[in-house]
Amino acid sequence: MKIICVVKIVPDVDSIVCDVENNILTGNAARMMLNPDDACALAFALGVKASDPDCFVEVVSMGPMSARPRMEDLLRLAVDRGTLISDPVFEGSDTLVTSAVLGRYIATRPFDCLLTGSHSLDGGTAHVPVQLAETLGLDQMLGIIRIDPHRFDSTRAVFEVEDDKTVTTYEMAMPGVLSVTRQSGYKLPYVTLSDMRRDVSDELAIITNQDLCFSETDVGPAGSRTKVVNRYPQTYEKKDRHIVGNDEAGISCVFNFLKQKGFL
Amino acid sequence: MDKNDIIENLGKILTPSQVNTDSEDLYDASADRYKKYAKVRRVLDVPVPAAIVYPTSADEVSHVLAFCNEYGLNVIPRAGKTATEGGLENWKDNTVVVDARHLDKILHIDTYNMQATVQAGVPLQELEDELRKQGFTTGHSPQSKPVAKFGGLVATRSIGQFSTLYGGIEDMVVGLECVFPDGHISRIKNVARRSGGPDIRHIVIGNEGSLCYITEVTVKIFRYYPENNRFYGYLVKDMETGIKALREVMVNGFRPSVARAYSEEDAAQHFYHFHKNRCVLLFMAEGPEGIVQATCQAIEAAAEKFQDGIVEQVDSQSIADWFNNLNWSQKDIDDEFEEMKEKDSHAGYTTEISADWETIPKIYNNVMKRIRQEYPRAHDLTMLGGHSSHSYINGTNMYFVYNYRILCAPEDEMRVYHHPLQRIIVEETLTLGGSMCHHHGIGKFRNEWTMEEHGTAYYMLEKLKQAFDPKGIMNFGTIYPQEEGAKYQK
Amino acid sequence: MKKTCIFQDTEKTQNTTDLLEVSERMYGRGQFESHAVLLADSFDPLMGSFHHIIRVAKGLVDCYDPRGICDILENLHKKNRFDSILIPGTSLGEMIAPRLAKRLRTGLVAGVTDIKKEGGHIEIIRPAFSGKILEGVLHTGNGPVMMSIRPNAFEYTPGDPLQTVVSAYTEPVSSPSAVTRLHVKENQQTCDIRDSEVLIAGGGGVKESFPELYRLADALKGRVAASRKLVDQGIAPRSIQVGQSGKTVSPRLYMALGIHGSMQHMAGLRHIESLISVNTAANAPICSLSDIVVHGDAGKFIDRLMKKIAVYRS
Ligand SMILES: Cc1cc2nc3c(=O)[nH]c(=O)nc-3n(C[C@H](O)[C@H](O)[C@H](O)COP(=O)(O)OP(=O)(O)OC[C@H]3O[C@@H](n4cnc5c(N)ncnc54)[C@H](O)[C@@H]3O)c2cc1C
Ligand SMILES: Cc1cc2nc3c(=O)[nH]c(=O)nc-3n(C[C@H](O)[C@H](O)[C@H](O)COP(=O)(O)OP(=O)(O)OC[C@H]3O[C@@H](n4cnc5c(N)ncnc54)[C@H](O)[C@@H]3O)c2cc1C
Repeated sequence: MKIICVVKIVPDVDSIVCDVENNILTGNAARMMLNPDDACALAFALGVKASDPDCFVEVVSMGPMSARPRMEDLLRLAVDRGTLISDPVFEGSDTLVTSAVLGRYIATRPFDCLLTGSHSLDGGTAHVPVQLAETLGLDQMLGIIRIDPHRFDSTRAVFEVEDDKTVTTYEMAMPGVLSVTRQSGYKLPYVTLSDMRRDVSDELAIITNQDLCFSETDVGPAGSRTKVVNRYPQTYEKKDRHIVGNDEAGISCVFNFLKQKGFL
Repeated sequence: MDKNDIIENLGKILTPSQVNTDSEDLYDASADRYKKYAKVRRVLDVPVPAAIVYPTSADEVSHVLAFCNEYGLNVIPRAGKTATEGGLENWKDNTVVVDARHLDKILHIDTYNMQATVQAGVPLQELEDELRKQGFTTGHSPQSKPVAKFGGLVATRSIGQFSTLYGGIEDMVVGLECVFPDGHISRIKNVARRSGGPDIRHIVIGNEGSLCYITEVTVKIFRYYPENNRFYGYLVKDMETGIKALREVMVNGFRPSVARAYSEEDAAQHFYHFHKNRCVLLFMAEGPEGIVQATCQAIEAAAEKFQDGIVEQVDSQSIADWFNNLNWSQKDIDDEFEEMKEKDSHAGYTTEISADWETIPKIYNNVMKRIRQEYPRAHDLTMLGGHSSHSYINGTNMYFVYNYRILCAPEDEMRVYHHPLQRIIVEETLTLGGSMCHHHGIGKFRNEWTMEEHGTAYYMLEKLKQAFDPKGIMNFGTIYPQEEGAKYQK
Repeated sequence: MKKTCIFQDTEKTQNTTDLLEVSERMYGRGQFESHAVLLADSFDPLMGSFHHIIRVAKGLVDCYDPRGICDILENLHKKNRFDSILIPGTSLGEMIAPRLAKRLRTGLVAGVTDIKKEGGHIEIIRPAFSGKILEGVLHTGNGPVMMSIRPNAFEYTPGDPLQTVVSAYTEPVSSPSAVTRLHVKENQQTCDIRDSEVLIAGGGGVKESFPELYRLADALKGRVAASRKLVDQGIAPRSIQVGQSGKTVSPRLYMALGIHGSMQHMAGLRHIESLISVNTAANAPICSLSDIVVHGDAGKFIDRLMKKIAVYRS
């Protein structure tokens, strides 16, 4: 079986400081990490590979070259091929463009299943997996908490999706896109010290626009249909805090707050 | 001699009930907090000791040591088990851990001569509680006070949170009793002062169990004036300002009991409720009323002098509250273990160094820069900062703290994270002439730099080992570098 | 006249009208024509709020098939040329919106919580970086403005009832998914506090009144959590401890009753939307992070709030 995991290297939200005046995120100070949902997807794939040595796992990511070290970390696991799609012309692409770029590369690769995370930590959207599926003309499902390893092969996958009230089991014909969430609890294996010290720098495949041949007006900000124009910090300090007494007025304040926020 | 013989002989020297060979206890005795993560995850790479023994007197300690000395068995002295630098880690198969559990008596509290005598296994908290009942204090308050015991506290040259007033343990110890590997028992008498040759207390204080076993300690005691305690807190613009303000108070001749400066990152975790992404400077004044008043004036004057760097003053109650919740109980330590069982991350690794006033900010900046630039796992750090918490007239310490996600096999944690970070801190400190070990001792994980720490004076340290422990049975690998131990370190 | 298309909130049909607030903020009241697209049988709650209700005929598409639903919406757009298409941010909506945007080659803003209008520009606001910051997004290009809307972010106040025209959509779906639903089971309510959107947490200050917390938790459909203080004292089980050595939780509402807020406790709180603390000390550290601080005894607070809720509910 051939699995492609599509992942994103994201800034750790806890390390982000927002410079409001200049409308930038102080990204260089931010720690980069594998998006947690994506880590679960990859963990599942590596689990499949562990029990089936013929399984081939490729990890694909689109991002700046600064994502390279984190992609290399993944090569230190049992991943068969790692690909970073990176080109200055892709920077600033919205999800529409990103999924087109990823789609064009992935269409050239053999695969039976695409595994992704559901949500990205930074954007908080699930657009890329869905739009990637649309680009490739595939089915796709978000919010997967479990994939049945015994009913997962090149023809079909059976998996569970959870929402507030229900757990639903679906079967999807493969190839298709399965997007896993953190609630799955799939956990990446540990990297051993010897693997950590291994030099993998020439094992990562770098794909640029030379390979993909997009017109420069179709990618990056030029090709995007949305544009972030402002950033507002939402910090704890910004909360306008009420101190109220434990009396009729205070209780009413709490009550109204609960009601307004839909807790009652 | 094999393990069974060792156990049998120890049972004869003591009683069998004083010899513990429970496998869980032996596993626990094979490492300390330096490898706490690997320990919790049950992947320690070091041998387990042969037995733990619990002597009840200096004579029993003497017999045990003499026996070990005769057969070349490694001895690890042990008290409260809060060691952080590998002092309790075991690198030998034939090791006997000598635990102070039954040396647990407070022998004498003498409020007229202002001193108290305890056995080595008395927890500091126990003596402190006894003294408080009578209106006195030891003045010693390491964060591990509820758990650490006198043997360990003296053996590591520990220091407490009120050190700026009361000093470190070395300023408190009046006299003591200790046992050498050949079985000899020495008692250093309790006098106010003397000039009887070199101060031999200092051979024992800080020996980390590598020269002798401490059985009894006499410390000074102080009158306790909690009603006079005063607290000050400030948000300051940078570490430099914080350290300058500390210096100002110190060099003008004042001794607040607490004088600390926290970096932004460290402040953010301790003082999330008021830090506003600033550094925090804080003081506590205690003692007799007049002294407290004078000290407060000095603190206020220093704040005034550096007002350009001070952003605002903090409600002093917040500082007082924070202090009252700072110490760690055994429960806290157990809890931390529970946490490490489940989470691939850990908070609270530290390395503490010291230097003069001029050098401390340089070391701090160099360390921060080097870690960010060249440490390959810098992106796994979830916190990196530090604070100065013990000041002297000529300098201060820097307590580096770092938390990280642990994205490697648990057995490699120390090699991937803690040790490389500590290495950077130690190297930068030694390069600028500071000390790499302000108060946790050298243990086993800083021994690769012991010679560099001491330079030409290492000669003296080496001679002590040769004189008192010629067969090298005491705490193999602690303080003194050992080729054989490198595999557990690197 | 602008045209706005709103897809049904398939989890709570009546909430579909709230999305009209988004259109109003963009275009102004009475300045647009609204179309609701419904899969559900019942459209009563929407009558009078929309100009058009388009009912998808029974059996055309599975209610869990985003691809099929996209077909329908795409077709409707071709016919009607909407200026905006708004999709509720439900789990189904999250799979429909990006697909539709891709088909229509238009930009999509997800999880929208607010709309700002400044000098002719419509700035669409959404939380990013786990809610740490808000982004203001502009829609560029020619396609319709597409958004998925964060549930409960907008509330619509109805105006005069409209004459709603109801029509049926009957065209067969050309590209349904190859997905089958095998079975659905109830989501076993685990007792894990991490799964709860509402946590009523107690600490040292509610030693005596801890059982009362369960009453309040029930009333707010939440669970009870505790600080380590209560766990140490054997009052609360360890499984509900929040903090560094306990669990890390991200509820929408965290009510901290008699909790001081030590750094080890706070280490267990991540991305809490609303924090209410009740404490006899108004300067306890946790109060500094709270939306509301109730200064007083936690036991009495529970009593009073429960009474108020009881009155409201009866
Ligand atoms: C939460 C926490 C906070 C801490 N805070 C501080 C602090 O504020 N200040 C500070 O200085 N340290 C601190 N430490 C470090 C530690 O508590 C001290 O080093 C303490 O002095 C160790 O005492 P112990 O009784 O636990 O000794 P152990 O851990 O049992 O032993 C420490 C060392 O002393 C040797 N030793 C023990 N008993 C004897 C003996 N009877 N004779 C000879 N050698 C012996 C051991 O072989 C070992 O090398 C902290 C540790 C923790 C876990
Ligand atoms: C390694 C380590 C790990 C730890 N892990 C955790 C952890 O996971 N979780 C955790 O919670 N703690 C943890 N702790 C303990 C933590 O430091 C605190 O001791 C603990 O959180 C205190 O709990 P508390 O705030 O409920 O109690 P207290 O500190 O006793 O505070 C009680 C609060 O209630 C208020 N109060 C008193 N009476 C009333 C009343 N009648 N009505 C309203 N308010 C009242 C008081 O003003 C005060 O603010 C850990 C500590 C360590 C060292």
